[in-house]
Amino acid sequence: MRIQLKMEGGIAYFPGLSKPITIDSDELPKQESDELKRLVNATHFFDLPTVIGSPPRGAADYRQYTITIEDDGKQHTVRLTDPIEDPNLQALLTYLKTRRSASG
Amino acid sequence: MCQTSTHRHSIFCILPPYILHSIAQNGAPQQRTQALRTLGSDHTFRNMRVTHDLMTAVGRRLPAAAPAVEGQPQRTTCNAHNTTNLPGDTVRTEGAGPTGDPVVDEAYDGLGDTYNFYWQAYQRNSIDDQGLPLSATVHFDQNYNNAFWNGERMVFGDGDGDLFNRFTISVDVIGHELTHGVTGDEAKLVYLNQPGALNESISDVFGSLVKQFALKQTADQADWLIGAGLFTAKVHGVALRSMKEPGTAYDDPVLGKDPQPATMQNYVQTIDDNGGVHINSGIPNHAFALAAIQIGGNAWEKAGRIWYETLRDPRLRPTASFPTFARLTVANADRLYGHSSPERQAVRDAWHEVGITVS
Repeated sequence: MRIQLKMEGGIAYFPGLSKPITIDSDELPKQESDELKRLVNATHFFDLPTVIGSPPRGAADYRQYTITIEDDGKQHTVRLTDPIEDPNLQALLTYLKTRRSASG
Repeated sequence: MCQTSTHRHSIFCILPPYILHSIAQNGAPQQRTQALRTLGSDHTFRNMRVTHDLMTAVGRRLPAAAPAVEGQPQRTTCNAHNTTNLPGDTVRTEGAGPTGDPVVDEAYDGLGDTYNFYWQAYQRNSIDDQGLPLSATVHFDQNYNNAFWNGERMVFGDGDGDLFNRFTISVDVIGHELTHGVTGDEAKLVYLNQPGALNESISDVFGSLVKQFALKQTADQADWLIGAGLFTAKVHGVALRSMKEPGTAYDDPVLGKDPQPATMQNYVQTIDDNGGVHINSGIPNHAFALAAIQIGGNAWEKAGRIWYETLRDPRLRPTASFPTFARLTVANADRLYGHSSPERQAVRDAWHEVGITVS
């Protein structure tokens, strides 16, 4: 399973934080790989709509996230806008953001 | 327009023309004089505003349910307790003392600084000029490196403590977010490409002026930085943006280099960041700082007034480009200070210096 995260928006544009990060579960230790798959499965990612949430009228400096997952020949992309209400998606995003920090 | 030669009569700022007409006809002699003065100076501008308001009446925010006291903010600060649930629990309301949580108290004080700036500098009564209560939510999410305006309230993260400190730390960031509300009430600049960069720049301009006003700094004394203090000591940088020297605020191994251009020559074409709204805002930011420094004194008094009147100018459309905005600032400098004034010349020169020539 390959996961790509791209973060956009926020109060400033930081080139270093705007690069997409990619995580390949095959390259992770088994325990972490299993945890990642569990997080993804909990979201029912491949059944999610392509856009979740949109900036309210007049909103500014909001952050948006684009997550793309490839698994078993399937690919799906979901675009999210803060605040994210689904706790399963929040948990996945928290994991991915932590990975970004670790790789940064 | 609300000042007389001897005294400010704030009540005349908010009275609708029909009441002013009634006072002019039936009031005591001094009241009649004041009402006539206000009507005389205000008439053309009010007509422009009314026409604009009629054209944009659909979708306008309703006035605050409870009438606010003129000149007094109505603040509410909420705590999301590190969740993403908005608005969170109310932890400090207007008039209540400090809570001891610096984040809650900084947000409360920053809302007050912003309200006082708009009221005292421009006689604007809150975001909508009708006393709209000001609301903020702090402790949003975990390790959240952002602050945003959701169309109704300001939302602040605590920062991750690694790269970013708490987002309430800079009063100009609080002024920045609330000014998005002002822009949403006035010009409604579309949050994309050049109008989006103007929207961002206006938030930086008035965010910086909130700080300068609170510190009583002249244009020469101001640091012209947005978000000073937000970075931890680990980051190679001083702030999110520099209005005086765009592109120089940070250069860091993790964050990258400040991408803001200072002039049109380096305008960035991109689909990221809503078409570079936080990137190309460096150009109008630079023009404002140059104009304010050239004019001298307190930046909110003249340069700020010119930008504020431009933001309220009905000719400023939601899809305005940089050259259109530049032309309107020069037109407003002309209207406020005269065709041959040093203020108009300073504004025109500033735009020329960033690569936009106003004929």
